[in-house]
Parts: sequence; C-alpha cells; structure tokens
Amino acid sequence: MAKKVVKYKKQLAHKRTKRTLSFERRRQLEGFSFMLPWLIGFLIFILIPLALSVKISFYSPTLNDLYRGKYVGLENYKEVIKNPSFGQAVFEAFMNSLYQVPMVVGFALFVAVLLKQEFPGRVIFRVIFFIPVILSGVIMSYLFSEDVGSVSIFSQLVQSNTGFMSRLFGGALTTHIGNIMWSSSVEILIFLAALQSVPDILYEVVDLDGANAWERFWHITLPYISPFVILNCIYALVDSFVDARNPVMSILYGLMVQGTKYGVASALSWFYMLLSLITILIFILLTRRWLR
Amino acid sequence: MSAYIQRFSNYMYDLYKRYENLGYRVKKKIRFIIGRIFLYYVLIEMAFLFILPFVYILSTSMLTFEDYLDPTVFYIPTEIEWGNFTKAWEALDYPRSFLNSTITSLGAAVLQTIACSVAGFALGRYKFRMRNIFFVLVVIVLLIPPQTTIIATYGLFVELGLINTYFSVLLPAAFGLGIRGALFILIYMYFFQRIPDAMDDAARIDGAGPLRLFIEVMLPQVKSAIVIVFIFSVVWHWNDNYEAPTYMYRESVLTLQPRLQNIREYWAKKIPAGESEISKALTEPMLFAGCFLVMFPVLLVYIFGQKKLVAGIERIGIIE
Repeated sequence: MAKKVVKYKKQLAHKRTKRTLSFERRRQLEGFSFMLPWLIGFLIFILIPLALSVKISFYSPTLNDLYRGKYVGLENYKEVIKNPSFGQAVFEAFMNSLYQVPMVVGFALFVAVLLKQEFPGRVIFRVIFFIPVILSGVIMSYLFSEDVGSVSIFSQLVQSNTGFMSRLFGGALTTHIGNIMWSSSVEILIFLAALQSVPDILYEVVDLDGANAWERFWHITLPYISPFVILNCIYALVDSFVDARNPVMSILYGLMVQGTKYGVASALSWFYMLLSLITILIFILLTRRWLR
Repeated sequence: MSAYIQRFSNYMYDLYKRYENLGYRVKKKIRFIIGRIFLYYVLIEMAFLFILPFVYILSTSMLTFEDYLDPTVFYIPTEIEWGNFTKAWEALDYPRSFLNSTITSLGAAVLQTIACSVAGFALGRYKFRMRNIFFVLVVIVLLIPPQTTIIATYGLFVELGLINTYFSVLLPAAFGLGIRGALFILIYMYFFQRIPDAMDDAARIDGAGPLRLFIEVMLPQVKSAIVIVFIFSVVWHWNDNYEAPTYMYRESVLTLQPRLQNIREYWAKKIPAGESEISKALTEPMLFAGCFLVMFPVLLVYIFGQKKLVAGIERIGIIE
C-alpha cells in the first residue's frame, strides 16, 4: 500500500514538473522569438563586420579590394604599438574621460536635484537643459572648435566678459566647463527619471525625524538612486570613449581619410576598443556592490 | 463683566497663539526665499550658457559682413541681412538634402522605435535561458565605437548593394541597431520591467496571445518611452555626420550634415583668390545661417514634442 502511494506521489510529481516545464518552455520560446529579429540584425550588422575588421587588421587592404589585400600578419599591430603618437592619443583619451566622467555625472546630479524641486518655471528650465541633445553634430563642432581661425563660443564669452562663470574662471577652463555641461544632457534626463522614482514616503519619514535638506540628500536620495549613478558613470564613460572629438577618434578618422591605412586603422580601433571594454568591465566589477 | 474679561482673555490667547512662533516662521520664510533666490540664480546662470549658442547662431546669421567685423556690434545687428540665408540655402542645396535627411531620420526613427521595443520587451518581461547573454550582448553593442566596424560595414554594404541608398541607414535601424539602438533597447527594458506582473497574468487569463499581449496591453503602458526614444532617434539621426555620409556620399542622396560641413569650401570656390582670412570672415555669417537652417526643423520637432517628452520623463517614476 505504502509503496503504491509513493509511486503515485512520484507519478504526480513527475506530471507536475512536466507540466510546469512545458509552460516555462513556452514562455522561454516566446521570449526568445521576440529577441530573434535583433539577433539576426546583430549577426549581420555587428558580428560579421567585427569579424571582417579583425581580418582587415591582419591585411593591408585598399578600398577597392577590402577583403583581399596582402597578408601582413601582426605588422599592423606592431605599428600601432611602436608609433608613439598613437600611444599618446590613447593615453590622452583615457585621461580625458578619467576627469570628465566624475564631473559630468556630478554636474548632472546637481542639476537634476535642482530641477526636481517644485517651483514656477521649471518646465522652461528643463527644456533649456535638453538643448544640447538637439545641437550635436556639425553645429557643435563649429561652435566649440578651438582651431586657428575660429574661436570657441565659450572663449568669446570670456573675452566679452559676460556671465558669472567666465569671470570666475579663465578661458580654457570655461571651455572645459562648457563642454562638460554640454555633454551631460542625457545624464540629467536619467537622473531626473531616477529621482522621480524615490518614494515620497521616505522623505516624509526623515522629515518627521527632523532631517535637513543636506542629510535628506545623503541618507535617502543618494542611496536610493545609487544604481543610476553607476549607470550614468558607465554611459558617460562610453560617451567619452566614442566621442568624435576624442584624440583617438580623430586619428582613426585621419587614417581612414588617407585611404591606404585601413589595416592600421582597424588594428588601432580594436586595440582601443579592447582597452575601453576592459576599463568598463573593471568599473562594473568594482561598483557591482551598488548596482543592487 | 466677567463675560467681557473672558472674551478679552480669549482674544489675547488667540493673539498669542497666532504669533507664538513668529520668529521661527519668519526665519523659515526668509530661508525659503533665500533658497529660491539661490536656485533661480544658479539655474539662470547655467541656462544662459545653454541658450547662448542659439542666440549666437541666430544673431550671427543675420549680420552683414561689416557688422560681423565691427566690434561695437554686439549680438544686435544694425540691419538684417537676409542674403546670408539665400546663400546658405543654395550651398546646402536645401530642398533636396532636406528631403534626404527627412527620409533617413524619420524612417530610421520609426523603425528603431518599433524594433527596439520588441527587443526591450523580450529582455524586460521574459526570463528565458539566454536572456543574460543577450543582455550582455546589447551592452557590448553599446560599447563598440562605430569606427571599429565602419570600414568592414562599408565593404559589406558594397557587397549587398546598399551603398548610396537609403537602406544603408534604414536596414540596421529596422533590426533595432543603428545609432544608439542598444541604448534605446535598455530604455525600453527598464520601462517594461516596471509594469506589474499582474497585468501580464490578467491578459493571459483573458486569453491574449504573446503578440496581442505585447501590442494591446504592454505598448500602451510605455507611451512615454516611445516618445523619448522616437524624439531622440530623430534628433540623433538628423545630426549624424558619420555613418550616413559614409554610406551615402553621392550628390543626390547627400544629407544636410555633410553639406553643412562643406559649406565653407562651396563658397570658397566662388570667392576670387585674395586674402584668405577676410574671405573666411565673409563666409562666417553665412555659415551660421546654414547652421540655423539645419537645426530649425529639429527645433520644431523638439518644441512640439517637448511637452510630451517632459511629461514622459515625469511619468517614469510614477508607473510602479
């Protein structure tokens, strides 16, 4: 009798697991099929070009004969490592992002906290702070370039001596600050969204306990939005790594325009991409604690 | 008499209650006002730096050559020179390149908005076995600088016959890639994750299939994400001066951005050889007139979409 019950129970358990499994299976299949279009696109437009660019980095191709140039082995990589200007540009790019990222994120957080408050006219300010998103591209390069003939608009600001910022700081610094402010729009947006998600009840609780604004920020706001701080840091890092005004990017562009050094350009871009991927991975590993 | 005293004492008590912590309240009020003044001061000071380029472009584009070189003319032109705009119009070949820019950016934005929502839905609402792998792949795609793959992609597009057609921009967008497609997928994922599971179950019990669940139940929940992604996608494709000009370089399909890049060269050819500095200054107002023409359509999109955009941003936290 007991044996029979056990057997029956086993059967039942078996049946149940089988049923849930098939249900799970169906869900999994659904999820996968929703992902399928992206996967196809990824294979065609990312994976194949990536593989081809690895191949190109081992050859010395020309534009007409992109995939069938002469095989040169590691020659291109050797040139990348040997050429001191490349190394300098990579170093410069990394240093740039090292000091830019904290400033961009800090500035964005500051602005987002200000904009989150209820005060008349905040919608106008929000509209204004998203302007840089519209103005990217060629117009930005015209406005901010510090070439020989043209002066960046922020330097002009210093010369004309208007505005509080420019009187406080010098010309180059103001340009830097302007650049930082102008590259933090998306971060402000993400922070605003994050701040909106902090439940009001938490603030009410600490208000009852008699916390002031400063304590409220450090003990409630910041811990609550810490994943978004990390997210923004990662976004800012990526943004500065792939920025067109970055020295490595301009060297790559130059190599491509010359039209004969596609192999070297590919090698350099791979080198740079691996370095930036490793940096970002290290950053993610270091900050995993705060990502919940 | 005693009633009178009673009333009087009541009155005094009320008065006392009313002004009991007057000092505290005044202090609070003053602190509030100082806080507001500080807030507005900081915001206006920063907003100034953000608006300045607009004002600069607008005012410079209307300056005559003499006004541009005259240091006493400060932002307000003595007379408005409309010739800058006609010159820029000609150099940009405006109607045709406007059409090209519109087709690529609007088309790509529509395709990206749809395709990224599908992928974001899969990542945000399903826990299938390879989900984490896909998530990592999406993040990696976000990290790949376009310069790494652009040569190889160019070669691929030559083989596929996509060079100098709109499809070179539209096709990657249709699969949820293209400019910052990975970022859009992550935005959608974040939004979809916030919808409560009960929604899902209710729709399933009512007999909705996965497609119907996605289109009729889930998509209306993330309207704000759709607006954000669409506006960003339009703007970023419009401002793209890297991928589109690389794949579409023939005159007939050239977009606005590369034309704006070459606007100086266009007029430099027409100016007789002379002092280069002066001729460069001559083109400067025209250059900014060109900038204005290029940014004007996007400005319109932004001004009209702004209300929805901000509302979308405000709503992000509320869906819980």
